[in-house]
Amino acid sequence: MKVRVDAAACVGHGRCYELAPGVFGEDERGHCRVLLPDVPPEQQKPARAAEANCPERAIQIEA
Amino acid sequence: MSAPNPDPEARTVNLFAPEFARCPQEVYARMHAECPVARAAITNSPVISRYEDVIWALRHPDLFSSEMELQMALGTERPMIPQQIDPPAQTRYRKLLDPHFSRKKMAELEPDMRGYANDLIDRFIDAGRCDFDPDFAVPLPCTAFLRLIGLPLSDLEFFLELKNGIIRPQLKTQSIDQEVNRTARVESGRQIYAYFEEVIDDRTARPGDDLMTQLVHAEIGGERLSRNEILDICFLLLLAGLDTVTATLGCNIAYLAANPKQRRSLVEKPELTDGAVEELLRWETPVTGVPRVARKDMTVGGLEIKEGELVTLLLGAADIDADEFEASDRVDFERARNRHLAFGGGPHRCLGSHLARMELRVAMQEWHRRIPEYQVAPGEAPRYSPGIREVLYLPLVWDAPR
Repeated sequence: MKVRVDAAACVGHGRCYELAPGVFGEDERGHCRVLLPDVPPEQQKPARAAEANCPERAIQIEA
Repeated sequence: MSAPNPDPEARTVNLFAPEFARCPQEVYARMHAECPVARAAITNSPVISRYEDVIWALRHPDLFSSEMELQMALGTERPMIPQQIDPPAQTRYRKLLDPHFSRKKMAELEPDMRGYANDLIDRFIDAGRCDFDPDFAVPLPCTAFLRLIGLPLSDLEFFLELKNGIIRPQLKTQSIDQEVNRTARVESGRQIYAYFEEVIDDRTARPGDDLMTQLVHAEIGGERLSRNEILDICFLLLLAGLDTVTATLGCNIAYLAANPKQRRSLVEKPELTDGAVEELLRWETPVTGVPRVARKDMTVGGLEIKEGELVTLLLGAADIDADEFEASDRVDFERARNRHLAFGGGPHRCLGSHLARMELRVAMQEWHRRIPEYQVAPGEAPRYSPGIREVLYLPLVWDAPR
């Protein structure tokens, strides 16, 4: 599984790093930074939750 | 999408009716079924209710501007920063302010917040009853605000009075005359400016390690913020930071008092708190809508909107849209997909959302740890204010601990 974030769409709701702290982190402004673009199996469920809870639809997942 | 109802009466929605504030979900559902873009009663301005339309508008400040006539404003002399300014100027202010309101920064305040919440509960727990709004929902966010920006907690009462003078001047004037209340509002606004002017002078002379000091010394593109810019930021922090969390606390506890099964699930499994906070933000959406000004003639949901019209983006309606949310009329603390817009979206996403989430989580945890069983006092009913849905009257009772 791979994750990508559309930095232009992210406005810092912070749902991703709250729900999947192993996969996503935050920059100084609280916008998303991808920590693990290749998501290991044990992190896939939280990564999907992050995608499902981003109001800006900024997270793309490729299985 | 269903066809718009041709009857003009059916396409009108009264967002200031008491029954709307108490149970807006019924009105939202009717809008989705009959008139996804309606017109507001009295003002006749467009009201957008579908999730897709609302998030689209939020993301297009070029079409839906936040810059509006100051007569709309609450006792301010200039636009509040950054809320009433469009990108790209707004982006420069957000770059400066966002780091001070990040989740990490807010986490530093959490232990103190837990202390404040318990101090408040200590005052009434043995009585077995409280008036939730003035006893808990109002002072908690106000204390957080004072602590965050670095003002003495002893100024709490003074701040509450100023805030009420702006938001509910009719309580102070005991009048429903619009001109009387407008004058009272302007006077409260002047006092707020004067108070912050003094704080700016003080922090210029004696820098501390608080947000006020950082604002006084902040630079954008190598230039210090002007005195007016700092005042316009302070005004926003005061107006946006207090009532919203107060309203959310009231809506949450009123919901849980009326739904004991869900309340007990939260008491038994405190790990559900984050999910409950998100789901109640979705279901209650206390800030029911946000205003924008149309920058072009356009047609949305079958309704013609004219350039210059004031448009309401009904966040609360978007948040129960069945096209976006599975079983949208069910409150589910374990909802898997919840892209609610209670904090708005797009470039104006609520600056204080991480502060609000921290306050709500702490308050819900501490309240239910200390007072797990409670109900609305027998024979009484909660009373909601229109606009921001503050539960002005929420008398609660419980068995006092021995």
